[in-house]
Amino acid sequence: MSMFPNSDPAHLAFTEDTIRNEMENEEQNLVKELVALSTRDRIRAIRDLPMSFEEKKHIRSQVLTFKSAKQSRQFTCFADCSENMSLSFRRCGYNVRSARQTLELWQGIMKEIGGTFGTSVLSYFVFLKWLLMFNIFSFLVNFGFITIPALVYDPSPNIPLNVSFRGLEILTGAGYFNYTVMYYGGYSNETLVGLSDYNMQLAYFFTIALYMVLCGIALIFSMASSFKKNYVLADSSSSSAWQLLCSWDFNITNERAVKQRKNNLRVQLKESLSERAQGELLTLSEKLKHFGIHLGSWFLSTGLAVGCGVGIYYLCIYEKMHTTDAANWSLLQEAETLLVPFVVSLINLGVPLFYSLFNTFEHYSSQRKQIYALVVRNVLLKMSILGVLCYYWMNVVAEKFSCWESMVGQALYRLVIFDFFFLMLGSFFGEFLRNVMGRRLLPCLGVPEFDVARNVLELIYAQTLAWIGIYFSPLLPAIQILKFFILFYLKKVSLTQNCQPPRRSGRAAQMQTIFIALLFFPFFVGALSIVAYTAWSLTPSEQCGPFRGLNNTFSVVEVWIDKLETIPGSQWVVWIFQNVIRSEIFYFFITLIIIVVIYIFWQVTQGRKQLIVQLRQQIINEGRDKSFLLEKLQNLQKSHKKPKQKNHNKRASRRSDEHSSGGQSNSNAMVQALLARQRIEDEEERHRAGGVPVPSDISNSSALAQAMLARQRAEDQNKDSYQMSDRHSSSSIALTHSIQVAMVQGRDENYGMSGLSENPVNTSSAVTQAMQARRRAEQHRADDTDDLPSSVSSVMMQVMQARQRAEELPQNPAPAGSSALIQAMLARQQAQNEYDDGY
Amino acid sequence: MGTTASHLPKDLLSEYQELTFLTKQEILLAHKRFTELLTKDEKDHQNTRVPMDRILTLPELKSNPFRKRICHVFSTSEHKDGSLTFEDFLDLLSAFSDSATLEIKSHYAFRIFDFDDDGTLDGGDLEKLVNCLTGETDDTRLTPEEMRQLISNILEESDIDKDGTVNLSEFQHVISRSPDFVSSFKIVL
Repeated sequence: MSMFPNSDPAHLAFTEDTIRNEMENEEQNLVKELVALSTRDRIRAIRDLPMSFEEKKHIRSQVLTFKSAKQSRQFTCFADCSENMSLSFRRCGYNVRSARQTLELWQGIMKEIGGTFGTSVLSYFVFLKWLLMFNIFSFLVNFGFITIPALVYDPSPNIPLNVSFRGLEILTGAGYFNYTVMYYGGYSNETLVGLSDYNMQLAYFFTIALYMVLCGIALIFSMASSFKKNYVLADSSSSSAWQLLCSWDFNITNERAVKQRKNNLRVQLKESLSERAQGELLTLSEKLKHFGIHLGSWFLSTGLAVGCGVGIYYLCIYEKMHTTDAANWSLLQEAETLLVPFVVSLINLGVPLFYSLFNTFEHYSSQRKQIYALVVRNVLLKMSILGVLCYYWMNVVAEKFSCWESMVGQALYRLVIFDFFFLMLGSFFGEFLRNVMGRRLLPCLGVPEFDVARNVLELIYAQTLAWIGIYFSPLLPAIQILKFFILFYLKKVSLTQNCQPPRRSGRAAQMQTIFIALLFFPFFVGALSIVAYTAWSLTPSEQCGPFRGLNNTFSVVEVWIDKLETIPGSQWVVWIFQNVIRSEIFYFFITLIIIVVIYIFWQVTQGRKQLIVQLRQQIINEGRDKSFLLEKLQNLQKSHKKPKQKNHNKRASRRSDEHSSGGQSNSNAMVQALLARQRIEDEEERHRAGGVPVPSDISNSSALAQAMLARQRAEDQNKDSYQMSDRHSSSSIALTHSIQVAMVQGRDENYGMSGLSENPVNTSSAVTQAMQARRRAEQHRADDTDDLPSSVSSVMMQVMQARQRAEELPQNPAPAGSSALIQAMLARQQAQNEYDDGY
Repeated sequence: MGTTASHLPKDLLSEYQELTFLTKQEILLAHKRFTELLTKDEKDHQNTRVPMDRILTLPELKSNPFRKRICHVFSTSEHKDGSLTFEDFLDLLSAFSDSATLEIKSHYAFRIFDFDDDGTLDGGDLEKLVNCLTGETDDTRLTPEEMRQLISNILEESDIDKDGTVNLSEFQHVISRSPDFVSSFKIVL
C-alpha cells in the first residue's frame, strides 16, 4: 500500500497478479520451446542464455522434469536407449574436447605472452604455431607416401664410393645428402613389388599434387572464414574511439603492462581527438611535400627491390660458371655454393630494416596505411628475389645439370638453412642490440617494440621456400618443422628480454587476415604455379629421379591411363580422363559457370549493401520519431503541470529501484508509460472540473496513440534488455502500465464522451490486440535467439503492425494532428514490408 | 592437488560442462583455484561465497581495470557486494572463455561497462569507462573538454537512434564491427 500511495487497491492487486502471471508465462514458454528442441540444440540453447548459473540450472531442471513427465507417458525401450546413446556420445564429445585442450601446444607460454604483450603480438605466435602444424601435416603426407615406400624397398642410400660425409653438408645440403631420400634424385622410377605393387612415379606425382591441392583448400578456407569474421564486418572508420574502448585486452595480467597500456590508450585517444579537431587542414605545399616524400620512398623501395633481383641474378650466373656437374666437389667448391643463399638472406634481413627507417620521415594519415605500405614494399622485395631465383632454376639450372631437380632442391635447402640463421641474427640485431642501444647508449631511441608485420613476413617467406621445395626435396618440411620449433622459443625469449608491448593497439585480427591472404595470394599461388610449370613443361632429368625418361612429369598420368585401358572395369577412369581432364570444353564451361555465379553473388552483395544503408536510415527515422513524440509529450506535460506528477515520479523511481539490476533498463520506458497515463488522468480531472482546453476527441485519440507508442517503446526496450536477467518482471511491469494506461483511457472515455458509445469496445480490443502482438513478438524472439537479425526484423514488423492497428482504432474521431502521424507510420510500415519482401 | 578433483562429484562436473563453455580441465582448474581462495573452515561448507577482495587477489583479475565491475556483474549475492560462489565464478570464466559466443561476450561486456546498472550506456557510464581505461588519477585523466569531445564522438558513432544513450543492441552493433573484441575479451586461468 505504502508503495503505491495513489492507486486504489484493485489496481494494485491487478498489477501484482499480472506481474506474477507474466513471469510464469515467460518461463513456461521458454521451457516449452527448449523441450521441443533436440538434446544437442537444447544444451546449446541453455548454454547460450545470458543468465546466471543458478537460473540456467533452474531452467534446465524444469526442462528435464517436463521432459521426463512427457516421457513416462510414452515410455519405450527405444527412447531410453537412444537417450543413453546420446548421453554417452555427449560425454565422448566432452572428453575429446578436453583431450584436445590438453594436447594444445605451448598453452602456458601463449598465455604468458598474451598477458604481457597483448593480442597483437600473440597473433604472431599463433601464426607461427599454425604454420608449424601445417608443416607437420605436410611432412607426414610426404614421409608416409613417398619416403617410407622408398626406404622399405631400398633402405640404404646408394652412395658412390668416393663420396663421404664431411660435415659441411649440413650447411650446403650437397654431397652426401645428394644421394639420400632428401632430394628428388634419391627416388627410383620403379614399381616397388612387395605385398602389392607400388608405383613410385604415380605415388610421387599424386602425393605432391594432392598435397598442393589440400594446402590450397586449407588456405582458402581459413582465409575466407577470417575475412568473414574480421574484415567484411569491420567498419571503415578506423580512428573511431569505440574501437579503442572495446578493445581493452582482458588477457593482460601483468601489472606493468596494464599501466603501460593505459598510458598508450590515453595517448591514442588524445591523438585521435586532436586529429579529428585538426581535420584535413594541410596547406597545398605541405600536401605536395608529403606527396613528394611518398613518391620518393616508393621509387627508392621499388628500385631497391629490382636492384636486388638483378644483383642476385648475376650472382647466380657467376655461381653457375664455377660449379661443375661432377659428383664430388672439393670443399672450396662446396663452400662457394653458400654465397648465393648468404647474400639472399642478407638482403632479406637488411633491406626491410632499411625500409622501416622510412617511417621516420614519411607521414601517413593513419597507422594502418603505414603498415600496409611497409608490407607491400617487403612483399615486392621478396617476390622479386624469389622470382629471379625461380627463373634461374627453371631456365639455367634445368639446362646445365644432369640431375637438375636435386640441384634446385639443394639450393632451396641452403636458402632454408640460411634463412634460419639470419632470422636468429635478425632477432639479435633487430631486437637485442637495439634494446642495448636504446637502454644504454641512446635513450631517445627507446626500447624496441616487437614488429609483428616484419616478423610475420619473414615467416611467410620461409614457408614459401618450403612450398617451392616440396617437389624438389620432399623432406624439406622436416627441416621446416625444426626451424619453426626453435624459432618459437627464440622469439619468445627475445621478446620477453628485449621488447616492450606495442605502443599502439593495432587491429590485430585484421592484420592476421591480411597475413593469411598474403600467404595465399602472391606466395602460395606463386609456389603452386612454379611447381605446376615444372611438372607440365620442363623435361625431368634423364639420369635420376622417379620421372627419368619421360617428356614431362605429367605424362606419368598418361602412361598410367594407357595401362588402365587394357584392364577391364576401369574404362570409366579412362573416359573421365579423356573427356573431362583433357577436354577444353569442360574447362570452358566450368569457367563460364563460375563467372556467372560470381556475377550473381556480386549483384547480391550490391543489393545487401543498399539494404544496409536503407535499414540504417530506418533506424534513424525511428529514433527521430521517438524523440519527436517524446518532446510533444513533454510539452503537453509542461502545459498541464499538476502536483500529482510528484507522486507518479516517485512511484516510477520506486519501481525501478525495486528491480534495480535489470529492471532499471525499463525505467525509461516505464516513466514514459506513466507519463502518458498521468496525462490522461490529468485530462480526466480537467474534464470533470469542466474546463476543456482541448477538444476532447483530439486529446483522447492522441492520448491513446501515445499510450500505445509508449508501450511499444517499453517493449522495444524490453527486447533490448531481453538478456537482462530479470526481464520477466521488468517486461511485465511495462505491460501492466500499458494496461493501466489503456484502462484509464477507457474510464476517461466513459466519463467524457458519451456520444461515442463504441469507444470502450475499441479500447479493450486495442489492448487485446496489442497483447496478442506482443505475445507473438515474444514467441518469435525466443524462437530464434541464435538467429537474431531475422527475428529482430520480424519482431519489428509485428511491433509496427500492432502500433498501426492501435492507431487505426480511434480513427473515426481522429483529428488532423494524429492522422498525419498515422500516415507517417503507415508509410514507414509499407517501406518495412518491402524490405522484408526484398529479403 | 590431486584431491581437489574428488571434491567435485562426477554428475556435478558433467552438469557444469553442460551449462558452461568450459572443458573438464578448465572446470577442475577453476575449482582448484577457487578452493585455494577459501579459508580452512569455509572449505567444509557447500556453496560458500568468497568476498570480492579475496577474489581480486587472483593474478588474472588483480590488475584488470574492470575487476570490481566484473565481480559485481557476475555476483548473484543479494547484498550486491560482488562476492562470488563457485558457480558464479564458473559463470565468469565461461563468459570470458575461448568458446563463448559473441552474443554472450558482448552482453556481459555491456553489463560491465554499464556502471550505474540502468541498462543503457549514458554519458556518465562512458566517462567512467574512459577513466577506467586511462587511469583514475588526475594527471592521467583526460581533460573535461577532451572527455566531452570523446563522449560526443562515441555517441555520434554508435547511438543509431539518437536518444543520447547507447543501448545493448547498439553496443552489440559496435562490437560486431570490431573484430578484435572476441580475442581480447578473454580471461584464461
